[in-house]
Amino acid sequence: MAFLKEALKQLFQKPATLKYPYEKLTVPKDFRGRPIWDMKKCIGCGLCSNVCPSGAIEMIGKGLEAEINHYVDRCMFCGQCAEICPENAIRMSEEYELADFDRSKMLHEYKKHS
Amino acid sequence: MSHGSIIKVPFGPQHPALKEPENFLFEVDGEIVVDVKPRLGYNHRGIEKAFELRTYIQNIYLAERICGICSDAHTTCYTQAIEELLNVELPPRARYIRVVIAELERIHSHALWVGIAAHEIGFDTLFMYVWRDRERVLDLFEMISGNRIHYAMNTIGGVRRDIHAAMVPKIIKGLDFFEERLRFYLDVVKTEQTILKRTAGVGILKPRDAVNLCAVGPTLRASGIRNDVRSDDPYAAYDEIPFSVITHDDCDVLSRLLVRCEEMLESIEIIRYALDSMPEGIIRVQVPKKVPQGEVVSRVEAPRGELIHYAKSNGTTKPERYKVRSPTLANIPALCKMLLGGYVADIPIVLAGIDPCFACMDRMAFVDIKQNKKWVWTMQQLRRKYAKE
Amino acid sequence: MGLDYAAVKKEVRKRMTAETIVSLIRILVFPGAMFLFALAFFYEWVDRKFFARLQNRYGPLHTGPHGILQPLADFLKLLSKEDITPHASDRLVFALAPVLYLALPLTTLFVIPVLDPTSFIAFEGDLIFVLFAFTLIIITVFLAGWSSINRFSTIGSMRAVLQMLGYEIPMGLVTVGTAIAVRSLSISRIVEWQSLHFWLILLQPLGFAIFTVCLLAELQFVPFDIPEAETEIVAGWRTEFSGRKLALLRLGKDLELVLASALIASLYLGGPQQFWLIPPIVIFLVKTTFAVMLLSLLRAVFARFRIDQMLSGMWKYLLPLATLQIILIQAGLGG
Repeated sequence: MAFLKEALKQLFQKPATLKYPYEKLTVPKDFRGRPIWDMKKCIGCGLCSNVCPSGAIEMIGKGLEAEINHYVDRCMFCGQCAEICPENAIRMSEEYELADFDRSKMLHEYKKHS
Repeated sequence: MSHGSIIKVPFGPQHPALKEPENFLFEVDGEIVVDVKPRLGYNHRGIEKAFELRTYIQNIYLAERICGICSDAHTTCYTQAIEELLNVELPPRARYIRVVIAELERIHSHALWVGIAAHEIGFDTLFMYVWRDRERVLDLFEMISGNRIHYAMNTIGGVRRDIHAAMVPKIIKGLDFFEERLRFYLDVVKTEQTILKRTAGVGILKPRDAVNLCAVGPTLRASGIRNDVRSDDPYAAYDEIPFSVITHDDCDVLSRLLVRCEEMLESIEIIRYALDSMPEGIIRVQVPKKVPQGEVVSRVEAPRGELIHYAKSNGTTKPERYKVRSPTLANIPALCKMLLGGYVADIPIVLAGIDPCFACMDRMAFVDIKQNKKWVWTMQQLRRKYAKE
Repeated sequence: MGLDYAAVKKEVRKRMTAETIVSLIRILVFPGAMFLFALAFFYEWVDRKFFARLQNRYGPLHTGPHGILQPLADFLKLLSKEDITPHASDRLVFALAPVLYLALPLTTLFVIPVLDPTSFIAFEGDLIFVLFAFTLIIITVFLAGWSSINRFSTIGSMRAVLQMLGYEIPMGLVTVGTAIAVRSLSISRIVEWQSLHFWLILLQPLGFAIFTVCLLAELQFVPFDIPEAETEIVAGWRTEFSGRKLALLRLGKDLELVLASALIASLYLGGPQQFWLIPPIVIFLVKTTFAVMLLSLLRAVFARFRIDQMLSGMWKYLLPLATLQIILIQAGLGG
């Protein structure tokens, strides 16, 4: 009978479902979303590209002129690249709504600005 | 109900009762199960080979993805194995944080299981309620580790993120809320007539059979055997935290349900103790990239039972051989024993009773390079070779 | 001198055509088939919404205001899907079973009062006709599963027939109990009697409880959804049906829900009666919606029984209680 009371009580409470996409939750601090490179700090060491477990990071060139290609559809958001970067150039952002119909949108290119 | 005609009913690989693909061929006489032949391996992904191709750091994330629900157990087991090979000592704070995460994972995994078990017996309302309350635990994970599943907290030499002092009151509040809901569900399970009718006396596994067929985890503890890696062979900080091993003597699905619910309560106590007495200090130590030659076996108590990892290193940055024996594999022979003689209607709940995680389990293909032969061991062959009836 | 046969024939034909047209409208549109289909979709929505709210979630939400068009959307979607008939199945029975499953509750609904205290077709003994229709529905379920040849369907049909053996007798007993109180076997008379005296639920509460439990079993709602237990035998007797046939099966199930709630409303809650200025049909809708919500509530708070537990429970508890109800009525305690 306790269960019956519990069930009837739910009738008067707001449903627990979130009406996504009209209502969205805010993500907490230090959420592991899409990694973003700050090319001003990047020194082109290649550590992020070597350590990535799924091969989602491609470094083009070497040294201070290097560019980064990040494939979001391969990324598993583990944060190992951000951890190992010696210059703290990689930040795990809050973006998680990354799905798309277009495969080419999955590639994020980070080029050097002079 | 039986007219001497036996129907073969296949369960899987796609079936609403199974959350993951596996095949069980039941021979059914009316409503009674007379034989069951499992065929495993639908989730085989070649993970053990993949381990050999990646560096030790990359393998942490591969180990994590062996299973979504018990991901932390796999990373704990893996990092423990490699730390043993490297002969590093973990800082005390890291050991306590590992305990907190492991127990939070146990809570979320058992809560998920209670919901699934309720769904299997047709009790959708309880399923919805439990999963709604489990969301609080997942929110705690998101706050601590940045992700709800695949927390990636462990690394070789410690943990990657700290549990800051600001997080602790939120964790305690979440645990208090969950404990109150848990006590309500425990009360429901013990008193609701329809649940009792479907789970009491169903899927019996006698203690002798449980030991002979090498059952592990809550399945074993529900048959009265006091066996838990956390107390038999302590790892992380379990030797410093007092807790009790939960057993029940009825050997049926109801016992397994009660063992898991009470283990959740016990986990909440462990987390409170660990947060209270967490030592200060660093959370990780630096480790070299190359691991010296050696072999190691490491085991942890995953939510489903005893999880064993074996690693063989040869001085390079990649392991030479890695083997995973997950608890569900150990429970399959016991499962077959439980199903014989029961009703067809009981199959889903008994299957769910061992908390199957076939993603963890499928590593059954054997390849013999010398003889250039490969084969898959069927359950019959295993049973003939190893089971002592 | 004598009759003008041509004029008489013309007059008769004119009257018959007018009457025929009116009858056709009454059968096909209101309060006939179209109205009943709309009612079926409405009650499916009430059931899903109430069930969802009990589980702390929304239920259908975006199709139409508050999701009220969701059952219609599901029906139309199913009509547009591929209709696969298994190679080894008994084609004729397989194709006819959904049609029968739809037609039986529809026909039976004509004897239940909807618009006024007297139904569209009323005759002495229509209560027995309704019970007979319930049995026919289960036979249709059996044929549907049996002709599918699929293992899961076979188990589902066997379970459906076994379940029928459990609830048929208590249900028959308590409905006849209401007839005994009223001294008539016509549902319309029972409704009329209740408007003159009291609602039968006040006089026969035990009968009401037993009737509701048996209706749960007839509708295959939890705790008695054993023939179509999703987690055990995929979809039971319904496994092989897809596309149009599945659409008809679902509509048939909704019509059964209308039938069940209309029966509860007519036999125990007084049926459509004028209440001050509110027309009887609105009263009927209110009472049947209450009945649907009661069935939804019972569906939400129990787990599923096993077939042997259901049968033993029915025969050990429900049948003696139903007999007790009849004894009470005979002793003058039930009207």
